[in-house]
Amino acid sequence: MAPSSSSASSGDSSTPDTTQNHLQHSFVLHKASEKLNSSGKARRRIDLSLTKPDGKKESDESCLRKEAFQLVWSRIESTIKDVLRNMNAHVFNHIRSWVWDSFNAIKPFPTSCLGPFPFVSQATCTQLFTGLLLTNNMEFVDDILTFQELGLSLKSHGCHVANLSSSDFSSKNGISGCLTSLFRHFLMPTFDAADMSIFASWYSQQGNYGYPVVVIIDNMEQCCGAVLSDFILMLSEWVVKIPVILIMGVATTLDAPRNILPSNALQKLCPCKFTLGSPAERMDAVVEAALVRQCSGFAVGHKVAVFLRNYFLNQDGTLTSFVRALKIACVQHFSTEPLSFLLGWLLVKEDSKGVQSEEVVKLASELLSFARNQMAEQSDVKIAPGLTELTRLQKLWSTVVLCLYEAGKCNKTQLLDLYCEALDPDTSNSLASDSRTAIGKGFVQSLSSDHCMLEQNLSYRKGRLICQLVCRVRDLPASLLCQLLNSWENLTVDVLEIHDKVKELQSILKFEEGSCKPDLIEISRRRTSRSPLKIGESQSVNEKAAILMDCMVRDFMKPIECTPFHEIVCFRNVENLQSALIGDSRKMIQVDLLEFHKTLQCSCCRRSGNIPLPSMPDTSIMYTLAQEHGDLINLHDWFQSFKTIVIQYNRKGTCKLKKSPLKKRKERNESENKSEAFIQARFCRAITELQITGLVRMPSKKRRDCVQRVAFGL
Amino acid sequence: MELNDAEDEEFGFSRNYFLAKELGGSAVKSTRKLSDINIVDEQELRAAVSNIEPKHEKEIIDLINRYKSLYPRWAFDLRCGLGLLMYGFGSKKTLLEDFASTSLTEYSVFVINGYLPTINIKQVLISLAEVLWDQLKTKQRTPSKSLAKGQQPFSSRSMDDLLAFLDGSEDRTNEFLVCVIIHNIDGPGLRDSETQQYLSRVASCSNIRMVASIDHVNAPLLWDKKMVHTQFNWCWYHVPTFAPYKIEGTFFPLILAHGNTTQTAKNAVIVLQSLTPNAQGVFKILAEYQLSHSEEEGMPIDNLFTTCRERFLVGSRPMLNSHLTEFKDHELVKTRRHSDGQDCLYIPITSEALEKLLVEMTQ
Repeated sequence: MAPSSSSASSGDSSTPDTTQNHLQHSFVLHKASEKLNSSGKARRRIDLSLTKPDGKKESDESCLRKEAFQLVWSRIESTIKDVLRNMNAHVFNHIRSWVWDSFNAIKPFPTSCLGPFPFVSQATCTQLFTGLLLTNNMEFVDDILTFQELGLSLKSHGCHVANLSSSDFSSKNGISGCLTSLFRHFLMPTFDAADMSIFASWYSQQGNYGYPVVVIIDNMEQCCGAVLSDFILMLSEWVVKIPVILIMGVATTLDAPRNILPSNALQKLCPCKFTLGSPAERMDAVVEAALVRQCSGFAVGHKVAVFLRNYFLNQDGTLTSFVRALKIACVQHFSTEPLSFLLGWLLVKEDSKGVQSEEVVKLASELLSFARNQMAEQSDVKIAPGLTELTRLQKLWSTVVLCLYEAGKCNKTQLLDLYCEALDPDTSNSLASDSRTAIGKGFVQSLSSDHCMLEQNLSYRKGRLICQLVCRVRDLPASLLCQLLNSWENLTVDVLEIHDKVKELQSILKFEEGSCKPDLIEISRRRTSRSPLKIGESQSVNEKAAILMDCMVRDFMKPIECTPFHEIVCFRNVENLQSALIGDSRKMIQVDLLEFHKTLQCSCCRRSGNIPLPSMPDTSIMYTLAQEHGDLINLHDWFQSFKTIVIQYNRKGTCKLKKSPLKKRKERNESENKSEAFIQARFCRAITELQITGLVRMPSKKRRDCVQRVAFGL
Repeated sequence: MELNDAEDEEFGFSRNYFLAKELGGSAVKSTRKLSDINIVDEQELRAAVSNIEPKHEKEIIDLINRYKSLYPRWAFDLRCGLGLLMYGFGSKKTLLEDFASTSLTEYSVFVINGYLPTINIKQVLISLAEVLWDQLKTKQRTPSKSLAKGQQPFSSRSMDDLLAFLDGSEDRTNEFLVCVIIHNIDGPGLRDSETQQYLSRVASCSNIRMVASIDHVNAPLLWDKKMVHTQFNWCWYHVPTFAPYKIEGTFFPLILAHGNTTQTAKNAVIVLQSLTPNAQGVFKILAEYQLSHSEEEGMPIDNLFTTCRERFLVGSRPMLNSHLTEFKDHELVKTRRHSDGQDCLYIPITSEALEKLLVEMTQ
């Protein structure tokens, strides 16, 4: 154990300290410069911080972008958290009332009968109320937040809560490990003995007594069964003194406790089942809030959206990874797009709606002039109105997408799929070309136009999701159509043009429904399927709704990439995102070795193909040679072929010397010896480097003369 | 299309694998021995290794300069709460330290040499806690929050307490203060899952950002989804440098010098240098005993313990055993059965090499 120095403070690589630094476990490269310490307080948020925007310093601009990122990302993050919290709110309420009911059922003994060990009067007293929370999700990483939120929600209602994780129940630390982590939540951190009686006396103290103690174990299936059962047995023995209620997360089925716990522990449990929402529901809710409704103004382009979807579906399948991908996209947008800080301005502007504080207005204009300075050559471009228009169009777009989603809800359309399609500029282009036909000229005509035309029009885009949704509206039964129109009415409140049409349709529908008895809608619907007359009538409303939908798509759903200034708010660089998110180190290290000339851009090694050249880096030569071997490489053979290649180079270098034969021979001998040492040295180092990268495994005792290849193919 | 590509790739992979297996069968016939090579003298070999002339120097400098233009982006990523993970062929040690000294001057930068085989994670975290504590003190400029008298010094705290401190339970400003650079987070000394769990918890601390490099092709297997998505928060960058792994490679034996004594002695010096003075002392006692009793099988453990305790090098048997385990791990010390039945320890190095080693240690 080397003492790690925290005083070595040099970034200069030439000092003698550095050699020592290389051999130390850790060292301080440098301490924070005074500059930061004096301005230790971080700059205030964007709405106040900008004092001198004309000091066009790069650092200023990057600071602005960072602040804009923080504004935007904190908005997205909190929105996602809220969405998830709302989804769970119902279950959490259930759990809370169950906790209190169970607590009342336990009724712990009053403080007076505190003895060295609890005496058990009735067998039933030792039952442990246990909530089994079915997460419906094998990917536990998505539920970490859920369990934290559950803990907070119970805490806010007076319970004593301890959040334990499955790693606390490891066989290595045993029962004392999990008790220590349990006590950490309630007792002083200095406390070390895992003694339940201390815990009991803690509970009997003023202020602690009279409230349930909830122990949450987030992923019970990952716990060590023996430790968990010991833990349960111990808690159940003490339950008369400490009213512990257990909540355990279960990823699979209700059988899980039976599979990992022995029967004596199972007997102590008095289980109750709760179920969380499915991952698909959560995903849709997050996409809706963060991307479709655009809580932050930040948007992604079509290719990025498709990548995010594929990444979610094929790569990882967790909501957490999706959110992380979104975050990286957001970071990259703000780090690469110079004008992205205007997004911060948009947010500030939106926030100040109605307030119109002078400060904010001033700030906005300052920011804009700053932006104008940035793009000096196009100073006549009017950014502010452009951005306002962009926001307006985005709102329209999201309204239409949400209307479409409503239409698709009954047959479980995934919002993510719809979102990707709605962002596709090609969809918009094909629609634009359609609009040259008689159909898409406007609402009034459209609503009254013949539905045959619509059908013909839709057939151009057959198979597309949006198109299918529009078609489906035509076939909706009256009651569902009524529901759909109601939800459209709510969604389009801000868009008068659509809102009016929806109202119109609603009144037509009401009029039609009014003709039959309201409580007999179901019967009438069944009848409509038989009576040709009725079909015609109901179809006309459906048809109109479908046409309205179609027009909404055509006239208002303009993908962001088709609007001017979208670069400011929209991230489109899918290659960057992909490489930052999924670094394929296994493949890339091999590519580096085999095709290094592409990275180094050197002229000498370009023509090689698969034949190693002496000018290549030694490790590259070795790895290229290794490709010809099987999974075992004979070191002798490898060395000889390496030598052959390297010597070509040496010969070229030395053959020019012209000296007397005797001297020449002597020198040659010496230089050969020397060059032999160098070749062997290079061979050794190349193998060491391949070993560091893990591409070869060292000789075993059995096969001293061979190394093992590890990677086959890229 | 995509599906086809993936299938093709998979097919290519399996074909390569089986071809290689087949070739492997025929390669067994090649029975030429390593010893057939006329291996030069070890010292000469080592001298040659340290004098290998670099290739493509100009191109490599150009490449590194291209990476320099990415520094602002990397710094931005860190400020936004991401961690940086650098991969690609070539030592990235100089690159990372240069990045930190150029673009992260406003933060304290703490470097962990993950390539050291003897690295001790707890020791490292203690130093890190001290650095962060320093930083918090200068930032707040209030002595009131200095380590309260009741609180233990970092060196005697448990791992959980250290992590709790690093996570800033007392100070939740979420401000980025210390950047931790880990050279080879996949290094042999950090490869176990417990250490990686600790590192991931460090990475998720609110005042700390992490920059790490990996070289091993299987490095990503060290992390589960929780670590990757919620703790490390890696942003991957492919930055092959083609720089030689000079320092990282020191700890690997040269393949053509395998089993050679001078090499073991050289390795021993390096390992010993990274150990505590007490551990070095224990080794010295053993070495001196071996030199003065060259005809014996080795030094009995009890004997060693008594001598070490007399010289105040160890206080208890477990302490001595922990030193011995470390020696054994690096093959500095081996055990064999004495003729009278008790275990005794010896250093598998020739007397001359051992003498030289003792001299080097005292220097």
